Amino acid sequence: MQTRSWLWDSGFALFAWGCSLALVGVVFIILGFLVVKGFHTLTPTLIVGDTPFWEALLLKRQVFDGLFPAIVGTLCLILLAMVFALPLGLFTGIFLAEYASFRVKWVFSIVFDILAGIPSIVVGLFGFSVTLFLHHYFFAQLFPCLLISALSLAFLVLPYMIRTTQMALESLPLGVRMTAIGLGATKFQNIIYVLLPASISAIVSGIILSIGRCAEDTAVIMLTGAVATAGIPRSLFSSFEALPFYIYYISSQYADQSELMKGYGACLVLIFICMILFVLAHLIKTKVSQKLMYRS
Amino acid sequence: MKISKLKKKMGLIGTLVLLLAGVTGFCMAGELDVFAGEKGVLRISGGTAHIPVMKAVAQKIMTFNPEIQITIAGGGSGAGIKQVGEGLVDIGNSGRSATETEVTKYGLKMYKWAIDGVAAVTHPKNPVKALSTRQLQDIFSGKILSWKEVGGEDKSINVYTRDTASGTRSVFWEKALKESDITSKANVVVSNGAMKTAVNNDPYSIGYVSVGFIDEGVSPLTLDGIAPTMDAVKSGQYQVARGLFSNTKGEATGLAKKLIDYLLGPDGQAMAVEKGFIPVN
Amino acid sequence: MDVKKIPKFIFLGASLLSVGITLAILGFMVVLAYPIFSQGMFWDMLIQPWSPGQGLFGIGPMIVGTMSIALLAVGVSFPLCCGVACFVGVLHPRGKGKMLKGLVESMTAIPTVIYGFVGIFLLVPLVRGLFSQGSGMCILSAGMMLGVLISPTMILFFSQSFSLVPLGYLNAADALGATTAQKFFYIILPCAWKSMVSGLILSFGRAMGDTLIALMISGNAVGFPGSILDSARTLTAHIGLIIAADFDSIEFKTLFVCGICLYAMTGIGVILVRLLAGKGRG
Repeated sequence: MQTRSWLWDSGFALFAWGCSLALVGVVFIILGFLVVKGFHTLTPTLIVGDTPFWEALLLKRQVFDGLFPAIVGTLCLILLAMVFALPLGLFTGIFLAEYASFRVKWVFSIVFDILAGIPSIVVGLFGFSVTLFLHHYFFAQLFPCLLISALSLAFLVLPYMIRTTQMALESLPLGVRMTAIGLGATKFQNIIYVLLPASISAIVSGIILSIGRCAEDTAVIMLTGAVATAGIPRSLFSSFEALPFYIYYISSQYADQSELMKGYGACLVLIFICMILFVLAHLIKTKVSQKLMYRS
Repeated sequence: MKISKLKKKMGLIGTLVLLLAGVTGFCMAGELDVFAGEKGVLRISGGTAHIPVMKAVAQKIMTFNPEIQITIAGGGSGAGIKQVGEGLVDIGNSGRSATETEVTKYGLKMYKWAIDGVAAVTHPKNPVKALSTRQLQDIFSGKILSWKEVGGEDKSINVYTRDTASGTRSVFWEKALKESDITSKANVVVSNGAMKTAVNNDPYSIGYVSVGFIDEGVSPLTLDGIAPTMDAVKSGQYQVARGLFSNTKGEATGLAKKLIDYLLGPDGQAMAVEKGFIPVN
Repeated sequence: MDVKKIPKFIFLGASLLSVGITLAILGFMVVLAYPIFSQGMFWDMLIQPWSPGQGLFGIGPMIVGTMSIALLAVGVSFPLCCGVACFVGVLHPRGKGKMLKGLVESMTAIPTVIYGFVGIFLLVPLVRGLFSQGSGMCILSAGMMLGVLISPTMILFFSQSFSLVPLGYLNAADALGATTAQKFFYIILPCAWKSMVSGLILSFGRAMGDTLIALMISGNAVGFPGSILDSARTLTAHIGLIIAADFDSIEFKTLFVCGICLYAMTGIGVILVRLLAGKGRG
């Protein structure tokens, strides 16, 4: 009987250890493969091609063979998408946490769960069809462009923003929530002056995670305006390049080994950007738990 | 005395070279001069075989005049025709001529600026270098499953094909396969570049690609005894060939017209040759 | 006009807009696929093969492709995630487990396209060499890579379910001299299985909805796949591939049918999860 349970125990531990080692192994193989193949491409030439570094950075000259336009495109996308998603998600989250009745909350959260689950390419398809529709009937000047992509990306990250805001506000301790109201503040004043500042770290970490999502998504922008060659986006209504799309494009259509190497380099740059955002969000979140710990 | 004579000679040659360079530069700048003072965005999409030439031309124009932005997308000949017809792009490239219906529906104007062939290709390490039309048809339709049956190793054949929007595919299907089936188990890739990559990465692959794209990464197959070289395409001996078209909705105007004229001019044609196509002028 | 009510209306407006967008996405799909409904072709489309040359525009092969790749992904990653979640949540909640959890959390930051890229250049040649049949671009490769993609979410979900088991039960078990394995099988698992199933469903949804991995690794053939070494196409990759086609054609309309299918699958998944959670309350 003793040996039997000892066998079960060791088997269990062995299984757990085995799985963990397998997972860690897979992750290291994936990242290691990229690093080994792409490390030597991490030079300024990767970013700016043949153009002199500072002239490219200051937008004096165009970059043709580098990642610079793609990086700028991704940054513009992130900025625009957050401009749309941030207020909308924040306000919706506030509504769900503070104003909604139980019924309404239940219905709305099912809807937002569905929104969160919609595959990104369906969101892209939606963006593309709306563009076509508007192009046909209203604005003949409208094409898939930066604006459309940013809007579609905003739809994609909206559920994250809503959920983070809602959870951040709902998890505030009762004392924090009720004090200002007890002193005579209106609900709105309470939200603006007390609740939001108190939950700002959690919300900011949610924002950063949404930014990460915008940076890495390919399916949405593939259908709504990202192209292989476009240079720096001139306006909201122009096509653009983006880093994840560049990687996808290169992976299937590299003309020679040097382009493939650039693809590896681009992978490393993208991972680097995403990791930085992730670490940032993590640090901000831990700051929250430290704050709470000091409070209690 | 001798040294100064040498110096004089060098000086003369040097000046001549500079003059020549200056003159050619002047000529070249002359070609691009039409783009001086222009501003705006030119949107191009469509055939993927055209992309290398388009990219090179776009780079030249954009370096000459940074006020112009040229965006190039792929999508295949079908996409190019539809998009230019719907007004989503200014120039739609296609690797096949637009059909009657397409021309009347959209009011397209076609401009042919190069001739290209489509060749069946395999991995460079593949010992099979020639096939008959019958063998090609059977391989692509899935009747022949192993390389052994056509003189190669005992490995299964991995067929790669293009999507239905592709002009390369329709030409290959019509002229090389004589309209026989393509197996539904074939891997689908989205452009000529992607086909080249796929064939290059798979030692037991077979696919088809624009002749201009062939380099040491893929090995072209001789079809019925005729090798798909540029000369064979030019002379008409290798019949699986098509024109490279740039289409516009109605007559080309503005930047689009200038680009197409540039393509049809000596500079553009030289670039087409450089990328492996046959010029029309 | 009651000034105090204005903020409420603004927030309500924002929420309604968000809900509206979600419903609009479905609405647009249905409206644009309308010609297919009106011709009564919808249900046929779900089973027919895709053969435009013969006028057949069925997305049957794509549905089979999506299901098989997603099932394989979940099948591959489920035991793996159980094991890692046990390690992190049960065996070593502090120290080693925390480090591993950190690694898993950072895995969520890796973009899909990276997995696809590595898949093409590392996994596909491997599969091709291992099984001398096929090009390596098949359901197996795509399923495995997808399994790695969805693992972090599943692991975090599972370990969260494990941590929600009441501490009292675990302490009681310890007091009675139970081993870790016994604790897991007799206490943790029965308590947590419902949320584990929710996690499974959500991960399955994620696997079904992924585009890049399928697009880059599964080969995109148009026929019904016969084995896991066959090339296949998913609904998501189909949308990505056909988007360049003619806007008025039936081919393009099939994209909206694909969209409706994906939307419906997502919705069913969410409702199932909700039902499970609902039962748990009682």
